[in-house]
Amino acid sequence: MPLPERNDMKRYDLIVVGAGPSGLSAAIEASKRGVKTIVFDENARPGGQLFKQIHKFFGSKEHKAKIRGFVIGQQLLDEAGKAGVEVVLNATVIGLYQDKEIVVKTGDTVHHYKGDSIIIATGASENMVTFDGWTLPGVIGAGAAQTLMNLHGIKPGKRVLMLGSGNVGLVVSFQLMQAGCEVAALVDAAPEIGGYGVHAAKVARTGVPFYLSHTIVKAEGTDHVTGVTIAAVDDHFRFIPGTEKHFDVDTICVAVGLSPMSQLLKMAGCRMSDDPKRGGQVPIIDGHGETSIPGLFAAGDVSGIEEASSAMIEGRQAGIYAAEFLGFISKTEMDNGEEKLDAALDGLRQGMFAPKNRGKNIEKTEEGIDISRNLLCRGFIGDDEIERFPGVTHKAGVHPVIECTQNIPCNPCQDACAMHCIMVGKVITALPAVDPSLKCADCGMCVASCSGQAIFLVNEDCGDGTATVTLPYEFLPVPDEGTRGRALGRNGQEVCDAEVVKIRTSPAYDHTTLLTMSVPKEFAMKARFFKANA
Amino acid sequence: MNTLSDRSRDIGEFVSQPGDEMIICRCEEITKGEIRRAVHEGMFTMTEIRRYLRAGMGLCQGQTCSKLVKGIVARELKVSPADLEPATSRVPMRPIEMKVFANENEDEDE
Repeated sequence: MPLPERNDMKRYDLIVVGAGPSGLSAAIEASKRGVKTIVFDENARPGGQLFKQIHKFFGSKEHKAKIRGFVIGQQLLDEAGKAGVEVVLNATVIGLYQDKEIVVKTGDTVHHYKGDSIIIATGASENMVTFDGWTLPGVIGAGAAQTLMNLHGIKPGKRVLMLGSGNVGLVVSFQLMQAGCEVAALVDAAPEIGGYGVHAAKVARTGVPFYLSHTIVKAEGTDHVTGVTIAAVDDHFRFIPGTEKHFDVDTICVAVGLSPMSQLLKMAGCRMSDDPKRGGQVPIIDGHGETSIPGLFAAGDVSGIEEASSAMIEGRQAGIYAAEFLGFISKTEMDNGEEKLDAALDGLRQGMFAPKNRGKNIEKTEEGIDISRNLLCRGFIGDDEIERFPGVTHKAGVHPVIECTQNIPCNPCQDACAMHCIMVGKVITALPAVDPSLKCADCGMCVASCSGQAIFLVNEDCGDGTATVTLPYEFLPVPDEGTRGRALGRNGQEVCDAEVVKIRTSPAYDHTTLLTMSVPKEFAMKARFFKANA
Repeated sequence: MNTLSDRSRDIGEFVSQPGDEMIICRCEEITKGEIRRAVHEGMFTMTEIRRYLRAGMGLCQGQTCSKLVKGIVARELKVSPADLEPATSRVPMRPIEMKVFANENEDEDE
């Protein structure tokens, strides 16, 4: 005989644990279908990692491409509010028991809730690596650095060394510079950069050196980090003596991957597997995100590390599946609802960085073009490599030069060009191609729309021996027109004198400033960043 | 019997290595050498390591070190970390004061 139910236990049709991109998305879709839904999150603010993401997202329109992460977070919150989702913050789910009962700590009390279905969307936590001195204050996770900078407005340090060249390491390096920190170097034990080439290139062109096949020997300092020594490693990740390099830094940022926070699922008794491709311990789920326990679903990073864009789609799907599980919609309605989402998710899981391609050595693009070796090993495309890509064409007058050289699912540039100069086509991972026969209006929309900051507007010959290069500039202070300085090449080295001739801002650019600099015309295809004279 | 549960398997003597003094579980201040030695003393599973050394039982509940400990144990046993069963997940998921843990809200009418 079942035990009589506790009368102090609140019941919901659906309980969602985690108010990040997947959890909120799940709650929205379920609520829209009449499911009484409550979301718990241990943080003081909802949105998970989205509110730390100040960069523009990749993808296509349906994936909210070219919108900055924190704006997507706000949109999700608004949508959740409209859908009537109840979100409880500062609420830590400390246990998940049989029969879908959870225990939540809020303030100094614990509360019991029971759901007819549960979606676990607890996300992931950062991995650490050990080296001599790794416990010194000043060694922090890249996510922690982002929290300090982007949520609390605090600079994590003055001079930072970043360990890890995945997208987190690359994006956070750029954000550290935006926050006014100096990035001394970007280091990774792997021989090739793990994240998107465009993310690496925008860091490299500001002058940050990349050390691949290198790792940290030791963090120096007695009560906090005062320096770091790195050294090259061989194929077996053993230090090569004599290759040590020292940097004076006060902060070491570690971005060496994420692990799913799947403990609640394990506790509940879900079947789990250790899947290195998904980031560690993950629940075994079916095509509907349902675990081995009927009615208990997992969505987002907790079921395998991916991007926020895919987490949002997985979440929406889980919300629809839960609605069907609970009988709020029919199977047909469920299938109709998820068809589009399936296609959207599939679109994101394409290209050379797709989960299915992880760990593969990809040497050519889908178009059959050799991938830039410099980009993989040093963070920038060599001057002798750039011409082979379809976004790089030449003509008289201003025209776009698109330095997008890896197949990633992203196409806002195509829609940005009202003159139809830019073509990605039906395959969202295709490299953008520039048609030089069409006129460029110099509107700058393509430059601002590129989440990878890989588009430049170039006038290779202004007729007076100079050329102009327009680049996306996301640093403060923005130099005034007339400011003189040096142009930096793709590798961050100074190539020539430069003068800022135009600064453009517009709401349509969404906080990306377009900086146009004048350089001697022989440097039109080399100058890619501006550094004002001290 | 799989290799992991074969306690008679000879994994050799514990030999100290450079880096053994490095702290791995910072909450409980357990070093790499202590973890390696524990494996040679017969602790082949994550649960045993936890109970024997308290590694991963501190304030962060292994959030930082469990992957590191797993890697060290796996290397000592010459198996893949994926082959090692993770330690049991238990309530409470996060550190919580006993007075809070015991303070069940009896009145849900608020």
